Amino acid sequence: MGVTTARTAAGRWPVVRPWFGLAARLGLAAVWLFAGGAKVGDLAASGRAVNAYQVMPYEVATAIGAALPFVELALGLLLLAGLATRLSAGISAALLLVFIAGIASAWARGLAIDCGCFGSGGQLAAGQAPSYLPEILRDLGFLALAGFLLIWPRTPFSVDGWLAGDPPVEDDDE
Amino acid sequence: MSSRKGRNEAARVVREQLAREKRRKRTLWTSVGAVVVLVIAGLIGWSVYSSQKSDTFTAPPGANDAGTGVVLGTGPVTIDLYEDYLCPACKQFQQASGETVNQLVSSGKAKVVFHPVAYLNRFSTTEYSTRSSAASGCAAKGGKFKEFTDALFAQQPAEGSAGLSNDQLIDIGAGVGLDRDDFGSCVRDGTYTAWTEHVTDDASKAGVTGTPTIKVNGTAVEDRSPAGITAAVEAAGK
Repeated sequence: MGVTTARTAAGRWPVVRPWFGLAARLGLAAVWLFAGGAKVGDLAASGRAVNAYQVMPYEVATAIGAALPFVELALGLLLLAGLATRLSAGISAALLLVFIAGIASAWARGLAIDCGCFGSGGQLAAGQAPSYLPEILRDLGFLALAGFLLIWPRTPFSVDGWLAGDPPVEDDDE
Repeated sequence: MSSRKGRNEAARVVREQLAREKRRKRTLWTSVGAVVVLVIAGLIGWSVYSSQKSDTFTAPPGANDAGTGVVLGTGPVTIDLYEDYLCPACKQFQQASGETVNQLVSSGKAKVVFHPVAYLNRFSTTEYSTRSSAASGCAAKGGKFKEFTDALFAQQPAEGSAGLSNDQLIDIGAGVGLDRDDFGSCVRDGTYTAWTEHVTDDASKAGVTGTPTIKVNGTAVEDRSPAGITAAVEAAGK
């Protein structure tokens, strides 16, 4: 009896795992689409939000601020389609690590800025407290989604799976 | 018997190798494709931003030499005010400390350089920050910058709204004594829109990341109360 329950618990993981993966993929896609969409309407403001971190020259910050919303949207679309999932998850994780490092360094330097993660950004009004810890914790949550997809990139309803022409398989090395 | 088993084994190894090779190629090409998509997306963003930027601007009469703000008064100490007409904290600052700043200017202790930055375009549906700032350039042309600025803060629209329409801006201008035709066409044509962009860019370069920012002789003032402003000007004037 004990043996059977142990086997079903272990046996269930390969069945539910692809669905967790699908949720992680679509969740991360939504994060990027919202983040990019909120910023894409005002690229100059996006540049100012990057500049507010005071880690690079103004010209570089505005160029990155202009490019970032489009890159975020493209990442969101790649994840939504499930194309090159492992690479997209890897780039997502790298971007999130950069964002977390940026927020942490702003915190450490005592800057009073909004992270600008989903639009707005820049210095806060007097008397407004920055919320660095929730911002970092939120990004760590997104990082967990990216990490899941890095380890198990194959999910149902993905272009990757369609290209491979087979159902999600165990031990896929893509 | 054993040699046949060996052949089967060899065929299986070859098949697996071919499958692995195919998979490796597919991964490579999808990865290359994805990277290309991301790079192109970044370039699109950069070129859209570059094409939005205008190279030339005309500063309104009354602006400083660099064309980054409108000068009021002639005192020895310089007070730089970076404000967005849509920013509620700027309105509060004007209400609390505006009179003190006026007195410092009229008593000849300081001059004001007012930078009407457009930082908050995202918080109106009609780019009110840019339109109101460009309209303030038109008001400067008509010699009523200060009056127009005070009137705009007094009638400040809420963040997230459509802001005031161009017609409303023109009514306010006419209300402070600007010529309705001249001022009206200047506002409608967006004569000073490129100037607004220059003002905003310059403020960002100067490290102004939020509004209002108040600087006295180039140093940011943390205490924006009347006492704080007066103290900073007194200290700078010594």
